[in-house]
Amino acid sequence: MTSISLYVDKKSIVHDVDFLTKLIYCCVFIVAPIITGAVILGTFSFLVSLILIISAGALKKLMPIAALSLFVLLSVIIIQSAFIQGYHDVLFTIGPVHFYREGLIHASSIVVRFLDILLAFSLIVLTTHPADMVETLQRKGLSHRIGYVILSVFQIIPQMAQTMKTISDAQRSRGLETEGNIFIRAKAFLPLIGPVVINSLIGTRERAMALEARAFSAEVKHTYFRDEPVYRYKTPVRLILLLLLIVSIAWRLL
Amino acid sequence: MSKIIVKSLKYKYPLTEALALNGLTFQIERGEFIGIIGRNGAGKSTLCAALSGLVPHFFKGAYGGSILIDGINVKESKLSDIARKVGIVFQNPFTQMTGAKDSVTEELAFGMENLAIPKTEMVRRIDDALRLLEIENLRDKNPFELSGGQMQRVAIASILVMLPEVIVLDEPTSQLDPQGTEEVFKAIKRLSNQGMTIIMVEHKTEKIAEYADRVMLLDQGQIVAFDPPAKLFSLSNLEERGVRPPVFTRVAKGLDIHDQVGLYPVTLESTVNEVQKVYESH
Amino acid sequence: MSKARNLWRVKLNTASIVLIPAAVAINYIGKLFAEALKLPLWLDSIGTIFAGIVGGPVLGALSGLINNIIYGLTLSPASAVYGIASIGIGVASGVLAHYGMVSKLWKVIVFGIIVALVSSIISVPLNYVYYGGQTGNIWGDAAFAFLNAHHVNVILSSFVDNILVDAPDKVVSAIVAFAVYRVLPKRLTILFDNSQETTTLD
Repeated sequence: MTSISLYVDKKSIVHDVDFLTKLIYCCVFIVAPIITGAVILGTFSFLVSLILIISAGALKKLMPIAALSLFVLLSVIIIQSAFIQGYHDVLFTIGPVHFYREGLIHASSIVVRFLDILLAFSLIVLTTHPADMVETLQRKGLSHRIGYVILSVFQIIPQMAQTMKTISDAQRSRGLETEGNIFIRAKAFLPLIGPVVINSLIGTRERAMALEARAFSAEVKHTYFRDEPVYRYKTPVRLILLLLLIVSIAWRLL
Repeated sequence: MSKIIVKSLKYKYPLTEALALNGLTFQIERGEFIGIIGRNGAGKSTLCAALSGLVPHFFKGAYGGSILIDGINVKESKLSDIARKVGIVFQNPFTQMTGAKDSVTEELAFGMENLAIPKTEMVRRIDDALRLLEIENLRDKNPFELSGGQMQRVAIASILVMLPEVIVLDEPTSQLDPQGTEEVFKAIKRLSNQGMTIIMVEHKTEKIAEYADRVMLLDQGQIVAFDPPAKLFSLSNLEERGVRPPVFTRVAKGLDIHDQVGLYPVTLESTVNEVQKVYESH
Repeated sequence: MSKARNLWRVKLNTASIVLIPAAVAINYIGKLFAEALKLPLWLDSIGTIFAGIVGGPVLGALSGLINNIIYGLTLSPASAVYGIASIGIGVASGVLAHYGMVSKLWKVIVFGIIVALVSSIISVPLNYVYYGGQTGNIWGDAAFAFLNAHHVNVILSSFVDNILVDAPDKVVSAIVAFAVYRVLPKRLTILFDNSQETTTLD
């Protein structure tokens, strides 16, 4: 409840890999299939990411993310294969709608690319503690103020969601109508969101002061209470990833 | 030499016409416990903000006069440097948690990370602060899972680890339940016993009377009186200034029980003493 | 809002920094309420627009960017890419507010439409790369399918798809952000103005 991060707190060989190496992995596995343009390579990258996520024990948290995109992907398949002009090869017909083979091929390449990007990102997010991500970037020069912002959102959103529940219960008990036709529902929006928003904005003043009291604006090189995660095989793994990228570029050029 | 020297301090917030602080001059000695009282809008919170440098560095606005803390001029110093000298604690425990840390120890480390304190030193100071405030059992908890009183003690601890010489508390218990209030006052008492200079705004005048060495009464941005509790709470026009004297003082005033110099008792013990004297003389 | 204020000032004060997580949370809450009330709008950029109004284009842009990074880390890793569109929303809000577009209701409506145009122009190429031009919103996508079936070019169909969803969404979001801005005490909102300086009193 206190964090909305997707991080799955477990131990695995994927968890052991440091954030930067995962970031390189993510870039290579997204860029390489796009450079080569080969659907087979996209499918391969997607499968590798999936296997890694499973081996990290994070499959359960991947499901809601995947489900969220399912609807979009379905509509992509339908529209791309049935409503785009210029295709001729009808594969099958449902009622008045013809589905074209070319369209389906195009749609499948979109779906593969989408899944590839989704899983590569998910791999990082599911297996890296947010604080480790942010602190790695801070050690590489990311501003501490921005690092603070990213980390604080994880806790502030669930807190506000809780306030939101309290307020919507209170408004409803005062007789605010939240069901009915669209105008009734639309009219309920401002009284619901207004108090939460104003509360949180007023709170920013004291939080900002409290941060100042803790030397938030100090212009010195910071130290870290959390220990920096070290990955033993970072050099060989990074080299292999780089090699993969070079191979895919070469494949494209040849 | 005094710890804090304030000279004709004036301050006006941006976009306002009236002075929030209108010519304050006073001194505070090392290790003193100072209570600040007065009606809403009297300038109490503004004075706290001025002592901790938030006025003018955070609020901007128009500033006159000076505050010297340990010889350092607040107006000329950076907020992060003032933070090493003066710590401040606010009303709402929730907004004082950074929200960026998911355990109490990391929460406490935040200020020290900003000041580039080495890790081993951080660990030592965190242990000390947790022990002093009796919250060692909370060290691995998420700050947002704590009760109000616990969270407020974490807020105090997170200031304490920066080793300030002065702690300013702006109504630290006004949003807590009775149990949380007791916990926090006990913690403040312990800090005071350690020799920390403490400046506290508080509506509960019983607590002020019990703890404070001297009490400052503010009204319309000016000092009305700055005296030991017994003298201050014996003033006759306190209610007009928006201040309710401690319940003991009100009872004693009603019964006209006072000491030889005409001061009313302000704490339970002094009231009992005075009543006993009256009782014996009859 | 003084004209002297440096519109593109990059160094942000602490109050502005703390506003960013609040803005992101407001976006999030807006989205949750819109879903709970089954409104046909996203309403997930109220915070970004508000940040642009009170803090200028840089704060707006940063709120938009961080918003999508967070969405990427929490909801759908793919949505991080749309951060570019969110940056556009924040920048447009900051610039429009600077030029006085938040003083009257009709101006706020125009404000919302311009913000929608900006975000659509940025989203179209992204939609194209991602979904072959669609948005995932049922009304917009129906229009996309209709236009495509009538020989309208994909880019234009995709733009229409976007703006149909975006214009009402951004107008409503802008009105809500404006209402909040009007309700909050000036004393608070001035803290987000990074051009304030201390003056001397005697």
